[in-house]
Amino acid sequence: MRIVLWRLAFAVPLLLAVTFGMFALAKASPFDPVRQYLGERAMVTDPQIMAGIRANWGLDRPLLEQYTTWLGNLLTGDLGESRSLRLPVAQVIGERLGWTLLVVGCALVVMLAAGLAVGTLAAWRRDSWLDRLVTGTAFANEAAPVFWVGLLAIWVFSVTLGWLPAGGLTDAASTTVTLPDLARHLVLPVAVLAFSQSSWLLLFVRESVIGVLREDFVTGARARGLRERTVLLRHALRSALLPFITIMGARVPELVTGAILVESVFSWPGVAGTTIKAALAVDFPLLAALTLLATLAVVAGNLLADLAYTVADPRVRVLGVS
Amino acid sequence: MNVTRTGKAGRRSGTAGGARWWPGAAGGTLRRAGADGRARRRARRHRFALGTLAVLVLAVVLVPLVAGLDQQLVDLRSAGLPPSPAHAFGTDEVGRDVLLRSIYGLRVSMLVGLAAAVVSVFIGGLVGLAAGAAGGIADRLLMRVVDGFNALPHLLFGIFIVALFAPSATAVVVSVAVTHWTTAARIVRSEVLSLRGRPFVDAAVSGGSGRLRIVVRHFLPNLAPQLLLATVLMIPHAIWHETALSFLGLGLPAHLASLGNMINDGQRSLLAGDWWSSLFPGLLILVPTLAVSSLAQYVRDRANPRWRSELNL
Amino acid sequence: MKLRVDGLSVRFHLPGAEVHAVTDARFELREGRCLALVGESGCGKSVMAHALLGLLPGNATVTGHAWLDGGDDPLDLVAAPEKVLARQVRGRLIGLIPQSPAAHLTPVRTARAQLAETLRELGRTETPDLLADRAGLRPDDLDRYPHQLSGGMAQRVANALALAGDPPLIVADEPTTGLDRPLVDATMAELRRLCDDGRAVLVITHDLRAAERVADEIAVMYASRIVELSQAEPFFSGPLHPYSRGLLDALPSRRFVPIPGRPPELTRLPDGCAFLPRCPLATAACEDQPLMNGKKVACHHA
Repeated sequence: MRIVLWRLAFAVPLLLAVTFGMFALAKASPFDPVRQYLGERAMVTDPQIMAGIRANWGLDRPLLEQYTTWLGNLLTGDLGESRSLRLPVAQVIGERLGWTLLVVGCALVVMLAAGLAVGTLAAWRRDSWLDRLVTGTAFANEAAPVFWVGLLAIWVFSVTLGWLPAGGLTDAASTTVTLPDLARHLVLPVAVLAFSQSSWLLLFVRESVIGVLREDFVTGARARGLRERTVLLRHALRSALLPFITIMGARVPELVTGAILVESVFSWPGVAGTTIKAALAVDFPLLAALTLLATLAVVAGNLLADLAYTVADPRVRVLGVS
Repeated sequence: MNVTRTGKAGRRSGTAGGARWWPGAAGGTLRRAGADGRARRRARRHRFALGTLAVLVLAVVLVPLVAGLDQQLVDLRSAGLPPSPAHAFGTDEVGRDVLLRSIYGLRVSMLVGLAAAVVSVFIGGLVGLAAGAAGGIADRLLMRVVDGFNALPHLLFGIFIVALFAPSATAVVVSVAVTHWTTAARIVRSEVLSLRGRPFVDAAVSGGSGRLRIVVRHFLPNLAPQLLLATVLMIPHAIWHETALSFLGLGLPAHLASLGNMINDGQRSLLAGDWWSSLFPGLLILVPTLAVSSLAQYVRDRANPRWRSELNL
Repeated sequence: MKLRVDGLSVRFHLPGAEVHAVTDARFELREGRCLALVGESGCGKSVMAHALLGLLPGNATVTGHAWLDGGDDPLDLVAAPEKVLARQVRGRLIGLIPQSPAAHLTPVRTARAQLAETLRELGRTETPDLLADRAGLRPDDLDRYPHQLSGGMAQRVANALALAGDPPLIVADEPTTGLDRPLVDATMAELRRLCDDGRAVLVITHDLRAAERVADEIAVMYASRIVELSQAEPFFSGPLHPYSRGLLDALPSRRFVPIPGRPPELTRLPDGCAFLPRCPLATAACEDQPLMNGKKVACHHA
């Protein structure tokens, strides 16, 4: 429990520092958000009106005041208004967060299942052709950019084979979201995200299981006449998973990165892809909210991992040490 | 982010119980190629990786000298050609040779990657040196900052910086450096902490040398090999970052033939079935990254274990 | 049930070296009898136990025979495929009481979970509590994790696990390591009881006092070879091999004089008698490898 409190104590200054850093960067930015907002019309707009907008957005105030105002609004649930989409930021995020969580959630499930199974198998059959194929692919995959893998997947499964749609949430013609249509559009983004995130997991599980297979308790389990599958899954893998739980939490930043790129490649209407649009339009309120969201996700991931570890390891649970 | 980040691997300690001098796992069911074959394969891989890197670096340095500006040659008559003897990697949608452009792209990506790596190792080195040499509260505070930066999603942070400061090579270098200096900081700090305990430092202190003088005269020369290696290992990260930003349209200006820009451009042709204009630039990201990580593995096998864990190899 | 080990040898292949762990071992063990395999650490005793159960790593080569004779059709443990060993032998015909029992339990699961699992997989109908009770454990001891078990409790859990499949042959690999004297005595008494119940018991130990309490027969191992094999009583009153004599003389209750020198490394065994450099009786004849050849001892001077 103490470690959880520590995390929380660390999270608050972290979030404050990140958000303040964002404001400082925005202040230092050479872009004029009002010009960005008006686009072409900036040429013909009365400077008086532009000053009005600037005052309305609070841009003429000192940095600290802008920041505290934003922070105050944040605490009351007001995230401001997106300048590029001209909608409340909360609404923009609300509409898209679900789709991101859907893709990321599915990808996590696929990645865990596949990574654990294949990693364990590779460790068990260490040095076999299967192991070498798996580790070779995983290393190459670690080195390959996610967006490139996504494009190759589109080329193979959409362009060449024509099995799956290349992107989007639904077919262009349809006006409502139906489950079968959604499922078909979900396959490639989920598969690519899971595949790209699974290689570290797989390599980690493999390494970890290889280490555990040398332990006496595995010999002990074998000597008792247990089936190899039981030895492998209920003794070796189960013990090997402990360190992995904490690392899982530390991998959330990579998951966020993967989600941004995958959503962008597959034109998926989630929050991660929206980040790119917000960035291209220099839409500060939206970008700030999304960055904050991502940092929150990282903090939450670490916290969850610590909690899960406490629950999973009897030594920590009972003795209260880590 | 990729390759060398596998996190704090929770390596288990050796066998409990009695001393066993036989190696490897119990479980005589499996015939294994054993350590011999593994070591041989590994050595072969390292030689191959080194060779590949040498060829790529040579190509990046020499080809532009020979080919000049051919890569920008727009030739609409030969647009969208698949790979052939004349154009080994095919041509893109305006008829530019993909092979030539990829080499230029790799050159741009390598230069940006190198710059970003140098800057991030420089920042990290300074912070690590300060933390290690100062010790105490300053050290703990700085390491908290390092933890904080590690908790950020790097790409998102990079996007944020680039978005607010017009996409340019400088913005990319800064955004990569600002998010990646932490690794070098950890390495340098742990190295300095170990150096502090060495006799020659004690000797220098008792000889009346000041803090700064000790840092410059004694720490820096001892840190040089680690800093060099950290820089080399950082380059693939930086390249990866640069290509991701460029791919999203937030990186280098579109006219520059960076690998990320090329893959981004290739997207359209890909949907039409022209796979080569995206495939090959991607391979040129993958191959050097793999080669560097293979060399990193080689170093890891020989490196000092404390340093190894900091590198997260 | 009878175990007949016939010319069993184990070699480990390391990069640039070969370990002679067991060389040409021969002995017999019948039900109701207890054989103690004694010798210094690193002489190959534990490898023998693992070889019988087929638990050696992939770089080991096992030759010779180890016949497990249950009546009609004897089974060669050396030649048997892994499937047979896993599904018919381990846990069912041979139970292993491992060295440092707590380390042989999976740390993230309770003793009860592991005992119940073993019973289920071996197709037994007893409850874990019944088995625990027989091994002298209270039911709530079973809800502990391995790191919460005391040495004695871990030992009893290990016994219960080894007996889960009611195997006729028990192999105890250094069962007394790390235990204090009362626990050693209790463990030995327990092994003796298993033996008196009609099981065959093979005890591997470096503790001669413990061996004396339990064994019907003694096999002395030195540098991968069995150098003396005799009944317990004559052995303890008058050992034949100079090494056996040295071992007994090293006991605190006897002369308390250690054998000079160190045993040879198993990667570099001499052609002649491996005990030669430490032996008070050594002569030129010892350059020839002394063999048992049906006698009780492998020594030119005994």
